[in-house]
Amino acid sequence: MRYLVVFAQAHNDFRLPELCSVAELHAFTIDFYGTCDPTRPYMVLDLAEEAHAQILARRCILVKSVYEYYADGSSYDQLHELTRANRGQWEKYIPDTSFRFNVTAYNHKIPQSRQRCVVESFAYMGFLGKIDMKHPDIVLACFEEYLDRHETTRAKYDGDGDFIHLYFGKLLEEGSARSLISKFDVKKRAYFGNTSMEAEVSLLMANQSLASPGKFIYDPFMGTGSMAYPTAHFGAFVFGSDIDGRQMRGKGNPPGVLRAAAQYGIDSRIVDLCTFDVTNHPLRCGGLFDAIVTDPPYGVRAGAKRIGRKQELSPARMESYMEHRQNPQPDDQPYIPPTKPYELSSLVADLVLLARYLLKCGGRLVFFLPTVTEDYSELDVHQFLCEGMEVVGNSLQDFGSWGRRLITIKKVTDIQNAAPILHDRDSSASDLDHTPAHQHFRDKYFQGFKQRSA
Amino acid sequence: MVRLITHNLLACHAKGCTSNNFPLRFENARVELREAEFNGDFLQGFLPKIEWNALVDTAKQLGDTSLPPEQPEMTDDEFLKNLHHVLMEIHVEEGVMICPNCSRNYPISNGIPNMLLADYEIA
Repeated sequence: MRYLVVFAQAHNDFRLPELCSVAELHAFTIDFYGTCDPTRPYMVLDLAEEAHAQILARRCILVKSVYEYYADGSSYDQLHELTRANRGQWEKYIPDTSFRFNVTAYNHKIPQSRQRCVVESFAYMGFLGKIDMKHPDIVLACFEEYLDRHETTRAKYDGDGDFIHLYFGKLLEEGSARSLISKFDVKKRAYFGNTSMEAEVSLLMANQSLASPGKFIYDPFMGTGSMAYPTAHFGAFVFGSDIDGRQMRGKGNPPGVLRAAAQYGIDSRIVDLCTFDVTNHPLRCGGLFDAIVTDPPYGVRAGAKRIGRKQELSPARMESYMEHRQNPQPDDQPYIPPTKPYELSSLVADLVLLARYLLKCGGRLVFFLPTVTEDYSELDVHQFLCEGMEVVGNSLQDFGSWGRRLITIKKVTDIQNAAPILHDRDSSASDLDHTPAHQHFRDKYFQGFKQRSA
Repeated sequence: MVRLITHNLLACHAKGCTSNNFPLRFENARVELREAEFNGDFLQGFLPKIEWNALVDTAKQLGDTSLPPEQPEMTDDEFLKNLHHVLMEIHVEEGVMICPNCSRNYPISNGIPNMLLADYEIA
């Protein structure tokens, strides 16, 4: 069966990975028809069953609606010819089906008079049922796609009819996953912080992680739990850790993350929250998780930290520090170990190694990589891969001079590697022949991406 | 929180503490029982990862004796129900976890364990 998918106008680069992830999760395949250009808002695809199209409409955040495909073409003559040829698909609606006919355009507004002309041009279909604008049995829709003409001044309706393509179909299902964006709106959340991830993107990440009932998913930079809520909403059990427990706790009891989870009715799926440094973690074995979904701190709002000191203490100070540690006084504040910055390119390389250890075979690592648009190259991503880890998605969210890439990596090996030892590496020493654009991202960000490395 | 599923995964990771560092022993544990949703597939998937003796002993310590001393080869509904209860529904909200080898303490407050090492404890 052939279907027409209408996308929401956001995150173009995420459309294909999301469709493919949802298809993989539900074990069906998508055959893309014709030139499949994810920057365009309409996509025609072939699916084995109608149920598959319904799954896409119910699970994909970026799908606005799904139509049963009747025809497409670059002119109305072509469109009508194909519609006539596909009579078998719609003739069952001729005798007694109430209907509504929508004519809409992308990047354009069609004047009402011509909308009526378009509807009338389909008169040969000969539908005998009554027209019902409110509660029709079926909705037919004709879409005109125009080129993007913003930043040009033009009269109202100017260029009407200069469409680049036409699509025609019958509504199968409105996308229902988009309403989750409002459900998970950070502003309405019981607990959030200044680094909480926006709802739409966190939902996209949850889909990339193939979250579903019975899965075990880990966020090693849990923070205020933005990734946990959508993944748990889709049924997964979530385990979270953070080097700074205050982020997960917030003020009061129960901890902030649990309060927000309770608001969404998913608190029982937050398995546990632990305070530890992921580079020195207490997990006794690997192969545990179906996915690792995380938004690592990249230094602009909050910098990543690991246990250690920026500068070693002098022997005398070290001695008094140790003495104090071994003889704690009753009025001591709870001990907080010293931390030092964790440079982004080291963090990312460690994250991939750690994911290979902690994931089950076939499990996915999903995370955001901030990067400098002008300096980014494919090599940046391939450099931090290791054997057994493969990129299955790399979508850019473009902010101009910088952007962030949603990287999805799949563990393709069933060899259980030993736990990686994530030693400090000196990121300034350049033993690598390639310097990734995301290295020292924080510094580049605050320099306004101007200073090119000499 | 600090469910026994998590407890069954946590080992002492202080520098030099590499043997007999699991399971951590609960002390002054304040236990709460909270209902959790049952998922058989999740439990089946997690079974091969469980250190069985540690789970049975810890459950016993916290007053639950529903698990058999040996991990059964065949799993039936009743067994999975008990396993679900032990792994997912027993929460230690306050207390300390102590390493059987080096006696390092890991405190639990508001259900969140602090597993952070000090700078001189990392390998």
